[in-house]
Amino acid sequence: MISKRPLMRYIVSVFLCLLTVVCIPMPLHAEQAALEPVANRAPSSRAFLLGIGRTNQLDTYLSPMEYKGVQISFMTQSERMTRLAQRHISFQSTFHGAFTSSDNPAETASYLGGRLAYDAGWHYHCSPLKHLDLKGGALIGTDLGFIYNDRNSNNPAQAHFSLDLSLSAGAAYTFSLGKLPMRASYQADLPMLGIMFSPEFGESYYEISQTGVGHDIICAHPGNALSLRQMLMMDFCLKRITLRAGYLCDIRQSNARSIKYHDFSHSFMFGIVRHFQLMKRP
Amino acid sequence: MKHFLFIIAVLLVSLTSCQKSDFEYNTSPQGNLDALWQLIDERYCFLSYKEEQLGFKWQEMHAKYSEKLNPSMSRVQLFEVLCQMLSELKDGHVNISTSLDLGRNWSWKEDYPENLNTELRQQYLGTDYHIGSGLKYTILPDNIAYVVYESFSDAIGDGNLSDMIAYLRLCNGMILDIRGNGGGELTNAEKLSRRFTNEKVLVGYMCHKTGKGHDDFSEPRAEYIEPSEDIRWQKPVVLLVNRSCYSAANIFIRNMKEMPLVTVMGDSSGGGSGLPFSSELPIGWSVRFSASPSFDARMQQIEFGIEPDVSVSLDESLAPVGTDSMIEAARQLLQKY
Repeated sequence: MISKRPLMRYIVSVFLCLLTVVCIPMPLHAEQAALEPVANRAPSSRAFLLGIGRTNQLDTYLSPMEYKGVQISFMTQSERMTRLAQRHISFQSTFHGAFTSSDNPAETASYLGGRLAYDAGWHYHCSPLKHLDLKGGALIGTDLGFIYNDRNSNNPAQAHFSLDLSLSAGAAYTFSLGKLPMRASYQADLPMLGIMFSPEFGESYYEISQTGVGHDIICAHPGNALSLRQMLMMDFCLKRITLRAGYLCDIRQSNARSIKYHDFSHSFMFGIVRHFQLMKRP
Repeated sequence: MKHFLFIIAVLLVSLTSCQKSDFEYNTSPQGNLDALWQLIDERYCFLSYKEEQLGFKWQEMHAKYSEKLNPSMSRVQLFEVLCQMLSELKDGHVNISTSLDLGRNWSWKEDYPENLNTELRQQYLGTDYHIGSGLKYTILPDNIAYVVYESFSDAIGDGNLSDMIAYLRLCNGMILDIRGNGGGELTNAEKLSRRFTNEKVLVGYMCHKTGKGHDDFSEPRAEYIEPSEDIRWQKPVVLLVNRSCYSAANIFIRNMKEMPLVTVMGDSSGGGSGLPFSSELPIGWSVRFSASPSFDARMQQIEFGIEPDVSVSLDESLAPVGTDSMIEAARQLLQKY
């Protein structure tokens, strides 16, 4: 078994190395206009972010204990204005991956976990104030992950899968701090309806392998899977680079078939933003 | 900006309804006993059956063993009390695993004659026997195939099985000796069973708990053994078993009992028909328990073992002359065919 403390140090070291690579200055054409309300500015942007934070995991299929540990993650998020509704509608896609390592309270067992999530959708934008941009819309997303317990025998791991439709809302505020142009943004995504994988209370993966997963796909809604992702980000220009730093709060949870699950992660995210101007051929 | 902060506040407040574990985290001796009692109460799959067969009430166990606790007791003392409580279940699949010891109840084999002498068995195998992964086999002087499979944890491949059957194909019958086999992978048991039938055979049923109630079970799912597409054994088989045949070995015996040319000989098997799951206690100790029960083809419980078709015991008085009375009984039976 891998010693837990060195594993944590290793994860943090890898994260810092990746962060250094991401933040190497690149010849980008960032400018103050890039931080203006999205409806007025360059129509496309893409952010590359790395994150590190804390995670709290519970999966009663594996253990009744809450496991706590560290999470490293990456996220790419692109957003572009479309021609719909007189350029008031944007298309956004987000790809999020995370790796977690956590321990039980007695530190006698560990979870290793991984997640890949992708969502895409549209937002309608409006600007009630000159520097304020509000948006609301819907996203279609999928989430695939696992948690592995290094000690369990016939129930060593649990798979997580969901496909859902989320409501999404956000706001962005552009301002200057001295001569430094900045943009604060917030977005919350709330899954409303979808499907998810959940084995029955005592169903083994041996049985699932014999019978298939069809009967283990169930309807997901806020009543049995109230989840929420929140991002509070700050963009700022340093010379020719637009940097983004912020907080990602990812709350995933479900209570289905007498199995409770949650994965609460709070991460500090940091990375760069690239802005593009899509040109039409003459 | 005020609107912006207001939206954030509303959404943060909405996060107050988080999913929490059902039991209170408490590392005291009483907290650990409560957690263990609740775990068995909600997830152990044989509680109603064991209460009926063994005459205890699980509800009463909480008070009975709580009396043996005190807040200043050592880890060793706590371990002993918790193991005593679990011993009431008489289940080899129920364990507490700690750095101190493995808590267990092995009365399913320790309270009975072993009916196995490994030195004698080795004499029958000789020294030039074949080894095909977990299988050891040879041909006895009266042209009977003798195959030993000591653990279903030892992987067997389809190639191993095909080569073994091809090598033994001219024998008059087969003694398949799984005495002492304490189980392992169910997939190995299924793979080996498939070599002894030419038709799809109903061998039993399996279900699982669907909720925390003692009798919350899924609809039993029929389990079939389909014939292997590779070479299959077509002659009589005597399956030698003893009390140490447990878990996956018990399931294998259940499967083989439904095969047309198979005779189960020896002692009753040890049982262990619940597929075990793992969980843990606040103190950090791992707990294993039976979670999904299996039944035979007539929907009868096999948790306490399976009776053989022919009861035979090992006569230790014949050991000095190199005779295993169980193997000899199997040979005699096969010679009659």
